[in-house]
Amino acid sequence: MDFDFISKTFVRLLAALPLTLSVWFLSVVLGALIAAGVTWMRVSGVKPLEWFARVYVLVFRGTPLLIQLFVVYYGLASLPAVRASFAWGFLRDAFNCAVLALALCTAAYQAEIFRGALLAVPHGQVEAARACGMSRLLMFRRIIFPIALRHGLPAYSTEMISMVKSTALVSLVTLWDVMSIALKIRNDTLVTYLPLILAGAIYFVFNYIIGAGFLALERRLSPHLRPRPS
Amino acid sequence: MGDLAIFGFGPGGWGLALLEGALMTLLVSACGLLIGGAIGGLVAWARLSGKLIAGGVGQAYAALFRGLPELLIVYFVYFGSSALLTGAANALGHEGFVGVPSFAAGALAVGVISGAYQAEVFRAAYLAMSRGELEAAVSVGMNRALLFRRIIAPQVLRFALPGLGNLWQVALKDSSLISVTGLTELMRISQVGAGSTHRPFAFYLGGAALYLVMTIATTRFFDVAEARATRGMRRATG
Amino acid sequence: MSATPALTVDTMHKSFGQLEVLRGVSLTAKDGDVISILGSSGSGKSTFLRCINLLETPDQGVVTVAGETIKMRRRGDGRAEPAERRQVDRIRSELGMVFQSFNLWSHLTVLENLLEAPLHVQKRPRAECMEEARALLAKVGMSERENYYPAHLSGGQQQRAAIARALAMRPKVMLFDEPTSALDPELVGEVLRVMRALAEEGRTMLVVTHEMSFARDVSTRVMFLHQGLVEAEGPPQELFSGSTSERFRQFISKERG
Repeated sequence: MDFDFISKTFVRLLAALPLTLSVWFLSVVLGALIAAGVTWMRVSGVKPLEWFARVYVLVFRGTPLLIQLFVVYYGLASLPAVRASFAWGFLRDAFNCAVLALALCTAAYQAEIFRGALLAVPHGQVEAARACGMSRLLMFRRIIFPIALRHGLPAYSTEMISMVKSTALVSLVTLWDVMSIALKIRNDTLVTYLPLILAGAIYFVFNYIIGAGFLALERRLSPHLRPRPS
Repeated sequence: MGDLAIFGFGPGGWGLALLEGALMTLLVSACGLLIGGAIGGLVAWARLSGKLIAGGVGQAYAALFRGLPELLIVYFVYFGSSALLTGAANALGHEGFVGVPSFAAGALAVGVISGAYQAEVFRAAYLAMSRGELEAAVSVGMNRALLFRRIIAPQVLRFALPGLGNLWQVALKDSSLISVTGLTELMRISQVGAGSTHRPFAFYLGGAALYLVMTIATTRFFDVAEARATRGMRRATG
Repeated sequence: MSATPALTVDTMHKSFGQLEVLRGVSLTAKDGDVISILGSSGSGKSTFLRCINLLETPDQGVVTVAGETIKMRRRGDGRAEPAERRQVDRIRSELGMVFQSFNLWSHLTVLENLLEAPLHVQKRPRAECMEEARALLAKVGMSERENYYPAHLSGGQQQRAAIARALAMRPKVMLFDEPTSALDPELVGEVLRVMRALAEEGRTMLVVTHEMSFARDVSTRVMFLHQGLVEAEGPPQELFSGSTSERFRQFISKERG
């Protein structure tokens, strides 16, 4: 066991972790914002908006992320109309393209999670809030959102982990994330498995931390899982 | 060539190649799903057995392959299966490198991933089964093999159908990652076409459209299958 | 006691699609009135109650709470809707509703449930709301469980907490929508006791119920609805000891108890 090689490889992989994490974080946050908009459209009651939201979710959940990524990175960049517009300043950068594509994809999954969580809020408790004279905004802030949050946390945790795994795809659009560094080390040193195993360990640990974090949050917010006060 | 003519079926048209890619996608995904079914069944059985070691191994398998990026697993299986096969062949006297065809490696990768999720679907489906029906079969004198074949397997499949339908869609999408091995499935064909004609937008959009058609069509199929399989069954939801 | 009635409803109509559920129901409640609303299922009694605080929107009819009339208007498609959202919210905060399925907010403790509306809707100072909430919990016998979550409570406990929650808003009129129908028989009594105490205090209450004992012994008036119309109305002694309405006599003979 060449510990020197192992530690050198590990350090090189860790150096790429900030890129992976920033792609993950930015796409998740941007995706959440887009998802909030899509969900709002879905429950708006306005037929064209609802239709758009449903089509959006269908398209972005029904096609592979890889091809979506290539449409944004290779496809949009090739269009003269895009190159001439203000969007080109943003899209010429691979990092931006990657974050955008991942965000559009996770938004579709997050929108479905939001929708399911909202549907899970017991209708009677919403009525009780209305009967008290709560305005729509107050009702959403104090009753609907807190209850929906508790219902949506498990699925949201799964999606967060799924997004970490999805960041590995940015290695295919010239970004130097953990995945692409591992492949580069393999190419340079002809050692196949060690870089991949170490990279896998890094992803695995990070996913474990996310899962544990969400579990702790779920426990804190779920009083019915706690014992009765004495 | 005009924009849409690119997708046509005449000479210079990529329509046929794309459809062939789609067919390859369907085939490799289906094989992957079946492999995943076998693995998932094994892992579920291990976890339900009640034996500590088997259960632990099963749980570890599921946790491992759900916590690793799918792309990483594709690379690992692709490189690893060739190395294993080469090692085995060399041990048997054959000289040199033996490569595993990318179809097999790809299907295996998809299967390994799918199996981790299918295990959970099967486990939940088994636990949802009615104990009473099992007892009735046992009391009639069915032996274990018959019990499994005639009672358990059909019931588990019926409960598992919704989850499996979802995992099929996942397999279809995961199969696009096999393009890195060079397999000529839909993603790879789109890539080749985009590069060859310098029209990435058209090809990737077209490829995406084909994926969407496959997703919608096969979802229909699963809905119909589910309706037929659960006819006459009492469900928890109305 | 003021001369203005606490609540008046003038000829209320409500249809669900083709089905006309309320066909002209009127009611006047003075301060201190305890009115039991009886009827078989489909008679429209719950719909009537829910139209008063606009959980359902009546197609026709005027609701006046403590002299203030809820303004209504017609939409483009001919359907009625409240004219001013804010007025509806305000009037709702003057009406306390108790539901058949309790509807306590599951993410809040009993005490937090009682504080929620007074603090955030009526914007009263926290110390005052806290003091009043604790007093109300003592009144309904739930003091020991103020830090419990609804999931840890029995049906009877939840309903008593729900009554306290409605009372915390200092409502002018209390609306009860079949408050004991979802309870196990042995838990019904504790809720009826609380309701009786409120009636004896002089609270104005409208109670949709199947509990004949409550209707007969506690209410000041009884209103019997049949297929969307008022079939019989009057003091309980009058109705229960031999009403002129044949349907009402049939009704009570079916509902023993």
